[in-house]
Amino acid sequence: MKVINARCRGTAGAEGTMENFTALFGAQADPPPPPAALGFGPGKPPPPPPPPPGGGPGTAPPPSAATAPPGTDKSAAGCGPFYLMRELPGNTELTGSTNLITHYNLEHAYNKFCGKKVKEKLSNFLPDLPGMIDLPGSHDNSSLRSLIEKPPILGGSFNPITGTMLAGFRLHTGPLPEQCRLMHIQPPKKKNKHKHKQSRTQDPVPPETPSDSDHKKKKKKKEEDPERKRKKKEKKKKKNRHSPDHPGMGSSQASSSSSLR
Amino acid sequence: MAEKFDHLEEHLEKFVENIRQLGIIVSDFQPSSQAGLNQKLNFIVTGLQDIDKCRQQLHDIMVPLEVFEYIDQGRNPQLYTKECLERALAKNEQVKGKIDTMKKFKSLLIQELSKVFPEDMAKYRSIRGEDHPPS
Repeated sequence: MKVINARCRGTAGAEGTMENFTALFGAQADPPPPPAALGFGPGKPPPPPPPPPGGGPGTAPPPSAATAPPGTDKSAAGCGPFYLMRELPGNTELTGSTNLITHYNLEHAYNKFCGKKVKEKLSNFLPDLPGMIDLPGSHDNSSLRSLIEKPPILGGSFNPITGTMLAGFRLHTGPLPEQCRLMHIQPPKKKNKHKHKQSRTQDPVPPETPSDSDHKKKKKKKEEDPERKRKKKEKKKKKNRHSPDHPGMGSSQASSSSSLR
Repeated sequence: MAEKFDHLEEHLEKFVENIRQLGIIVSDFQPSSQAGLNQKLNFIVTGLQDIDKCRQQLHDIMVPLEVFEYIDQGRNPQLYTKECLERALAKNEQVKGKIDTMKKFKSLLIQELSKVFPEDMAKYRSIRGEDHPPS
């Protein structure tokens, strides 16, 4: 896979074609004249010398179709005011007058990307990638540009780690300090929760302890519950007071206990 | 074509998952998890070997450098494709407008020149093989 700079692609392509051209026609061949698509040639040909009044043996012959400069319309050469006229570009030539997106069958891609709103964040494109990937690469020195500008020094191949080398990977027991736990912080996700759960259950490694956000949710629920109960009780009491057959204390207790069930 | 990418994608997904699992093992390391850690480390080496093998199939793929800028900024790389297509269409319409305007100008010029220089323009039409000015 190669990384290219899209802005330099045109010039690179032109150079490539020029190389091909010189390879085909030899190095001594003159470069071809630029195409005169719109009738503007490389320059005005020298005007025909005015005919001498009496003529004579020393006069040069008038320019004929055979001596016409390259690119000119042979039929037009020597036709009075139209000696500069060139052949029109053929209708088969692909120009901007045709819809190039339809020409190259890119309607599907156009409708896909431009028809609906594309989400801004990188995590929307790679939803299953762990870690905070929406942060700029310069933030944690993980940019792809730095990988291109300063490629890592690599050996020839990837060799498996043998027994003696593995001894270097004996770690201290216990949890990591908090500042090193960045990898497990996930951006908040609204959708695809179900998918995520499925992938986690397939993991051979036991899942981590529930995150802080889960704790908060549970705490909120716990905090809300007694308030709700109180409100419900009050409502029921009010209802019972307004009801025609107002029951005594025992029945109200029973009703409240039944509501709890 | 798509198979090549599927293959690479599969290997990359496996690799990322292995790294994630390795991270979990390391984040709360226990002496009993040393064997698992060793296994994961070797999985990563084989994962890198697999990804490296995919390189041979993808040597002819060109990636615009601008896409990397989008990714480095934490933006969706599909936005680059979207903007490219929008830019291409806008430029296409602009060029079409220019061509159409030039065609109109040509027909008007021929029309007006025919009024002033009827003989010359008749000659011109005979050379061009056009009986009527192009619309």
